Amino acid sequence: MANRIGTIARDLGRMLEALAGLILISVLVPLVWREWWVVPGMIVSGMLPLLVGFGLSRGFQNADDPGRLHGMMIAASGWFFVAVFGSIPFLLIAWTARFDPAILDIPTRFTISGTRTFSTLAAFQNPLNGFFESMSGFTGTGLTMTDNEAALPHTLQWWRSFIEWVGGVGVIVLTTAILARPGSGSLTLYESEARSEKIHPSIVSTVRTIWWIFLLFTFFSILLLWLADMPMWDAINHAMTGLATGGFSITDNSIGTYNSVAIDFALIPVMILGSIAFPIHYLILQGDLRNFYKDLQTRWVFIFFAIGTLVLTVILFDQGFYQTETIAVAGIVLQGQAATLFQTFRYALFQFVSAASCTGFQTAGSLGPGWTAPAQLTVAFGMVVGAAAGSTVGGIKLIRLLTLGKGILFRIRGIFYPSSAVRTFRLDGRALSDQEAAQEFEEAAIITFLWLVFLGLAAFVFMLALPMGAGPDAFTVENVLFEVASAQGNVGLSSGITGPGMPTVTKVMFLFNMWIGRLEIIPVLVLLRGVFASLEVYE
Amino acid sequence: MRLEEIPVIGPLLAAGADDRVFDALLVLGPVIIIAIALLGRNLASIILAASYTAGFSVYIGYKGIRRTPERKT
Repeated sequence: MANRIGTIARDLGRMLEALAGLILISVLVPLVWREWWVVPGMIVSGMLPLLVGFGLSRGFQNADDPGRLHGMMIAASGWFFVAVFGSIPFLLIAWTARFDPAILDIPTRFTISGTRTFSTLAAFQNPLNGFFESMSGFTGTGLTMTDNEAALPHTLQWWRSFIEWVGGVGVIVLTTAILARPGSGSLTLYESEARSEKIHPSIVSTVRTIWWIFLLFTFFSILLLWLADMPMWDAINHAMTGLATGGFSITDNSIGTYNSVAIDFALIPVMILGSIAFPIHYLILQGDLRNFYKDLQTRWVFIFFAIGTLVLTVILFDQGFYQTETIAVAGIVLQGQAATLFQTFRYALFQFVSAASCTGFQTAGSLGPGWTAPAQLTVAFGMVVGAAAGSTVGGIKLIRLLTLGKGILFRIRGIFYPSSAVRTFRLDGRALSDQEAAQEFEEAAIITFLWLVFLGLAAFVFMLALPMGAGPDAFTVENVLFEVASAQGNVGLSSGITGPGMPTVTKVMFLFNMWIGRLEIIPVLVLLRGVFASLEVYE
Repeated sequence: MRLEEIPVIGPLLAAGADDRVFDALLVLGPVIIIAIALLGRNLASIILAASYTAGFSVYIGYKGIRRTPERKT
């Protein structure tokens, strides 16, 4: 047991050292934007994880090398403590503004109460709000405790985007290299003997290759958004959070702020890039374009996005929600029904891709109370399913749904065969042995079941804690299901529930949902079992 | 000089798809972004950004087309 704790503590220490590096390198941002008053807070925020991390990594440097069990516990505890220490910049910057030392010359908009700018930053004086924001960022969720993102200091805008971006790389490494196991999608599809799609054999080189792809895509996305007329600072932040399918924005109304057809459509490929498994990106960058249609998950990402968009377009068009008289698109003026259909398609496409890619960017401002229940539940279904395993998305993942669907058909068809018949289960063209197939079904079924159990548990807590039913401040069941699916799927779309004023119990519940959603539940349960066992609460 | 020996970014470049064009795009990306941030939006910066994004997209297509006949032989 002591050895196990030593191994976990050492690797946790290394993670905290890396986090300290991220915070300290972010000091460049206030220097560029001349936000001198946040520099002390950022430096102290960086020193704390550096000292703790240094102590842990040096104190346990001779601990055993990690095994699979350690890998799960390190991932689960790492995400938790990185989110804890990653919340310190929010806390210290908010309290710096609160104390308002004259020497720092803090702009009055952050120090005089009664404005939205003040209340936005002041919300982070509550450590729980900072922890929520940090966990939302590192898990790529995008639900926020800010009232007006545009009012935040540039340094905090950057920190929110940066932690989502780094968290995006973290989850790709996690699913393709560290936690790849039968049923996770990554193992079966990307570690088969026929296709050496697992990027590289060792974790270190895998991480480097993922960074190589991720940086290349980030630069491409930034310039694409800038070409669509987004300001450069906005393009940098939204490219990072879009590619990481995190969804934090630096504007008050997310992407809806721009009300730009070009920006909406420029973000679609960015979100799709984040939805495709990175081993497949690697093959495509090597020139093997057939993976766009030959790879099971990639093919289904496009099919799923297309079907979801179509269904949502039909529902919203039928509701007549986006009645438009005229709209000009690329020099062509659309009128009447054509204009309405285009606007409906535009919002449906963006919101479904944003939901199923688990990004959480929002263009439809009235997505919560304005859309009908079928429209909300269509988007919620996209959030629950997600896209490809091995990418930055959350949710159950398409591969698990496909495995379960094909598995159910396989079992039903089996009844019509004689018991002596030899049948082979195939997944993405690969023949699986009975044992492999059973492992795939079992893992996919367990994850899906647990996903739905925790979804139901959170919905129950929310329905107890929030005003439900009719009334201006009340929420409906579909609002709650939408919000919980969004948190656990690491999506970030909101029906209006999440905010600094939500009850504490719901914030804590969402922290747990975001955490388990990112780690696909099992590693968190393994960690909790280990903690309870060591405390002799559980044997 | 081997790719790994380039200071700071060497190991990252060596971990890529063994392609000089992509490596060049990776190195040029931040340079172009900083240049545009300093220059602002004008014809030159638009051409620069459009060249980068178009070059990236077209090169992926070119690699795909070039690879397909290789596979048939």
